[in-house]
Amino acid sequence: MEAEEANQGPRWKQSISRLRQKFKGGANANVARLRRRKAMISSLTRRLPFFKFALFVVGYIWMLAIPSPRLGRGTYIDENALQPSQVNTYWNWGDVHAADRYLEQLEALRDVNSTSEQRAHFLETEFKKLGLPASTQNYNFSSSAGLITGTNAYALLGSPRGAGTEAMVISASWLSRTGEGDGTLNLRGISTVLALAGFLKRYSLWAKDIVFVISDGYLDGMHAWLSEYHGSTHKNLQSDPVELTSGVIWTALNIDYPGHSFSHLGVFFEGLNGRLPNQDLLNSFQRISRNTGHVPVTVYDHIDPREAPQKVEGLVSNLPKILQDNPEIQAFSYQAKNVARHIGYQARGRASGVHGLFHEYRIDAITIFAIPATGPHGFHAIGRIVESTLRTMNNLLERLHASFFFFILTDHDRFMKIGNYLPSAVLISIAMMIQGLQTWVRAGWKGEDETKLNEKQDGSSGVTPTQQPKRRPVGRALAIMTVAHLVGLVVFTALTQRLFIENIQLLAPIMFILLATIPFIMANTIGDTGPLSLVLKSFNLCLASTVISIITVLNFSLASSLAVFLGIPLSITSSSSSILTRVIKTALYSMLGFGWLLLGHREILSAVHDWEVLQVWFAPFVCLVYVPLALQALTVCVL
Amino acid sequence: MLANFKISLFFICNLCLLVLANSSEQFDEELSIKSLQDGKVASKFSFKTLLKGASPKDPRTLGTDDESQHYTLFPLGLGQILREYGVTELHLTLNAGNWNYGRWGYPEEKGVGPGAELWVWMGDGAPNSIDHRWKGLRNALAGLFCASLGSLDEQCTTSPVRSFSPEGVLPDWDLPHQIRHASLPSEHVCTENLTPFLKLLPCKSLSGIASLLNPHRLFDADWHGMGIHVLWRGKEGIEVRLTFQSIMDPSRSSSKQKQDWSLQSLFDRAIDRTCPIAHSSLISVSLPSSGAHSITPEPSRVDSGSAIFDVATVPKPFNAAMNWPSDFEYQYDTSLTPLKIQRTLKGSSQARGQLSLVIANHGQVSQQVVYLETMPWLVQFYLHTLKTSVNGAESDAVISNITYIPAIPHSRPTTFEAVLLLPARSTTRLTMDVTKAFLRYTEHPPDAQRGWDLPPAVFTPIHGGQSQNATAGLPSERIYTPALLVDLATPDFSMPYNVIIFSCSLMAFLFGSIFNLLTRRFVVVHVGSGKQE
Repeated sequence: MEAEEANQGPRWKQSISRLRQKFKGGANANVARLRRRKAMISSLTRRLPFFKFALFVVGYIWMLAIPSPRLGRGTYIDENALQPSQVNTYWNWGDVHAADRYLEQLEALRDVNSTSEQRAHFLETEFKKLGLPASTQNYNFSSSAGLITGTNAYALLGSPRGAGTEAMVISASWLSRTGEGDGTLNLRGISTVLALAGFLKRYSLWAKDIVFVISDGYLDGMHAWLSEYHGSTHKNLQSDPVELTSGVIWTALNIDYPGHSFSHLGVFFEGLNGRLPNQDLLNSFQRISRNTGHVPVTVYDHIDPREAPQKVEGLVSNLPKILQDNPEIQAFSYQAKNVARHIGYQARGRASGVHGLFHEYRIDAITIFAIPATGPHGFHAIGRIVESTLRTMNNLLERLHASFFFFILTDHDRFMKIGNYLPSAVLISIAMMIQGLQTWVRAGWKGEDETKLNEKQDGSSGVTPTQQPKRRPVGRALAIMTVAHLVGLVVFTALTQRLFIENIQLLAPIMFILLATIPFIMANTIGDTGPLSLVLKSFNLCLASTVISIITVLNFSLASSLAVFLGIPLSITSSSSSILTRVIKTALYSMLGFGWLLLGHREILSAVHDWEVLQVWFAPFVCLVYVPLALQALTVCVL
Repeated sequence: MLANFKISLFFICNLCLLVLANSSEQFDEELSIKSLQDGKVASKFSFKTLLKGASPKDPRTLGTDDESQHYTLFPLGLGQILREYGVTELHLTLNAGNWNYGRWGYPEEKGVGPGAELWVWMGDGAPNSIDHRWKGLRNALAGLFCASLGSLDEQCTTSPVRSFSPEGVLPDWDLPHQIRHASLPSEHVCTENLTPFLKLLPCKSLSGIASLLNPHRLFDADWHGMGIHVLWRGKEGIEVRLTFQSIMDPSRSSSKQKQDWSLQSLFDRAIDRTCPIAHSSLISVSLPSSGAHSITPEPSRVDSGSAIFDVATVPKPFNAAMNWPSDFEYQYDTSLTPLKIQRTLKGSSQARGQLSLVIANHGQVSQQVVYLETMPWLVQFYLHTLKTSVNGAESDAVISNITYIPAIPHSRPTTFEAVLLLPARSTTRLTMDVTKAFLRYTEHPPDAQRGWDLPPAVFTPIHGGQSQNATAGLPSERIYTPALLVDLATPDFSMPYNVIIFSCSLMAFLFGSIFNLLTRRFVVVHVGSGKQE
């Protein structure tokens, strides 16, 4: 044994030392290490364009793959306390009858064109008849689009034996979310809430106070109510204080039932500034609706085309028949529609319903939208589902915290975790950062262009005798960026002026032209210097990359939109001598950066309204972050 | 012979006990029922045991052996605790829900704060300090009543002298008496607290009025609360009063909106037997001042608007009932109390907030109240931001006589006591900025995401000059606000492992880079062209 070990010892040591020699090189170990490092760096540098390209490609493909049915996973309930769909429901035809009676009265109010005060007074009286303390709240907002006034009605059902420290909200707004509050009334939603108030009062099992809120308007009424409830002040909002208060609101359900009957219940969940509620709330509702109410659930108002094969539309209809029938493509196209809708809401920071206002106050809320159809469901189904969902919310011992707050819901029962979609935007931002740093290096040397530089380096020295370091005009580049951001501020201030909003058809194109000419003015005043263009490009890329990576964790949809709009365009900016290419580039970059001034008047109006009334950050973000980035890219091109 | 002797001995003992009971101890029970303006029914059970001629234990004798205690009716378990810790006056209430003063008026027993509340008056001068005895008392009562009174530690103990003045007489021992008060709003009261409560009664829940205490119905009420009050009535002796109040909703179970009730419908029981040792056993039903109504059976007597039944004489089984011919209609135009108080913690941030108090005085006269706020150190006041306004106009005259004991983090709560002058028909607003504490991670409870319950504020109206309660010159009512829930900054306890990994990686990276730079020797190395090998 010992002999064997003695024999093996040297052999083992020999092989180690051979390996060591191979790695360390023969003579001076330090010299060898430095050489090795240089060789590695230069080989990396040579392959940088490939890496960059690969990162862009992988990032964009990843984004495109997000709706794929092969990615993501099924939803599940994480919080054990919820126990959804585990109770017997008591809502029955008598309560449906009560809801019908309320509906008749509300329709009568609608037919006489009653004012907000009259409606609120009616609702308050009805709540009081049920024995609930109720009150109304007047409010008015002043924004650059004019004055918005209204009256909310609300009632409070104190939980028997409860300390009143926690509360749940059931709400319905006067206007339905159909067409973002285009005037469709949510009468059946309000009837449901009124009938529920009478029904829920009959049970002693509520551990949390229940607050019934009938908000006026679409979003504005609930915004005023929530602001007063939480004591947050807005300088353009004047409203009565909320007289009846309960404790901390944990969860809220908003009921939107505009049609006569419904076939599916759609769930809307995006809040202001891209906030999402805890996924457990969505999943519980989904489960309850299917198992207790026997009503199918969809995401938004998108009914899965696979359920009704005769109506093939959208993406799939343009494809050949054989592909149309492929289940995977059908699933992808349906989920892509959902993801696109989600990104549309989240990137613009827009709430997809009244529930979105709650998220700001750390209240998990969703809207239950009864998708209008000729049947088969009505008050009976929605009442049972809301009752059971409230029972589930009533079970909570803590705030919802277990499940996901960051997710993309690709289907009503499938979602993607943050770790599975976040890297796509981050990869693109890394590619942009590499491009920016590479441009920064290039800007520091004169005489050789990059390809030659790489050839000459040849794996050893970074600098050949023909290359000379030169000063980078950092100060001037920073000055241009400062001016660009100041211009962004001016644009933002202008947008929020009443003069601009009223004459948007005339003033927006003028602003577009002004913005497009600013880079030329800057280029002329500074004078042409070759490296300035490179330095500015490098700064612009690094800034854009940083912005994208930071935004990914706050609002993935916004970050991915930025990555799509800015990733490639900022990376290929360059100054050119030919007049024609200059003109083409100017036109393209102006359209990319400020095209919304020409094409998106409605978007501008709603974004400004959202900012002034609801504090949605989209309008300032576009003006103060996006426009300067585009201006700088344009400047790079004309320098 | 032996059997005969045993039986006769038993009778003699029984006789002795009865004689003893009649002479030195007296037990009275009473149930009062009242229909409220919102259709609910308030009921109050009161079981009073008087230990005649007894006096509280002098704290100076606490170190020595106590005399043996023989009680027949007086609850022994409670008596032993009272003597062990030298308690002069004790009030323990275990309530569930918020008392709605506007709709239900002032309660007959004024301790209606949510959750558990315990306050005692104790004489100083014992070998052990008052705080030491207070701690022992808490734990003993926690054991006796199966409640989490043990967690009423020094972090929630205060000494609010003005709001909780003694209701009985304090013995004249030339010793200072001190008060200890603590409340636990998050305490859930249920059957496990009622069972030990019933054990303290001489007839348990077997006979008399106590047989109506049916946990299935009591704990289904809209509000319920039990109380244990011990006080010294001077020469009369020591009184133990056990109370159970509840608010029930008769219209909840019926399909129609009717406010009819009967003992059977409220408690699902009738009285089958009289408690033989009760000195008096009465059921009093407040009769509505107007409207058609009927009461069955015919009451023993009617006395100042209430029908009184003497349980000892009525035919058994006894079931009183009250009926109205018409359906009930809600009307809320009048508030039964002149004061309406709303206390909220505004702001959704986890670092700071604002305590806001809105007091509406609907009365025709201005009123002075003592405002008491006992706040755990989790929420600390910025007293300089205290702002008061009456009907929207700022006014400093509202608040006077401020007593403020600031909190000490991790040990002592804030006590804020002040006198407010509320003008007639006015709305007074008080706001104060608060800061929310950042807790050590070991200080979070297991349900960390729920938040922390803050005890209610207490308002004690002071009646100018002549007090309405003529006997002791005491304020006759006390108003509790609802409890509050505060959200403190809470770590995500579901992923400590990830946090540890991330922070350790960061630390290792920083340390490694800095250590490398500090210990490295920098020399010039000629690398050459790189083609030598």
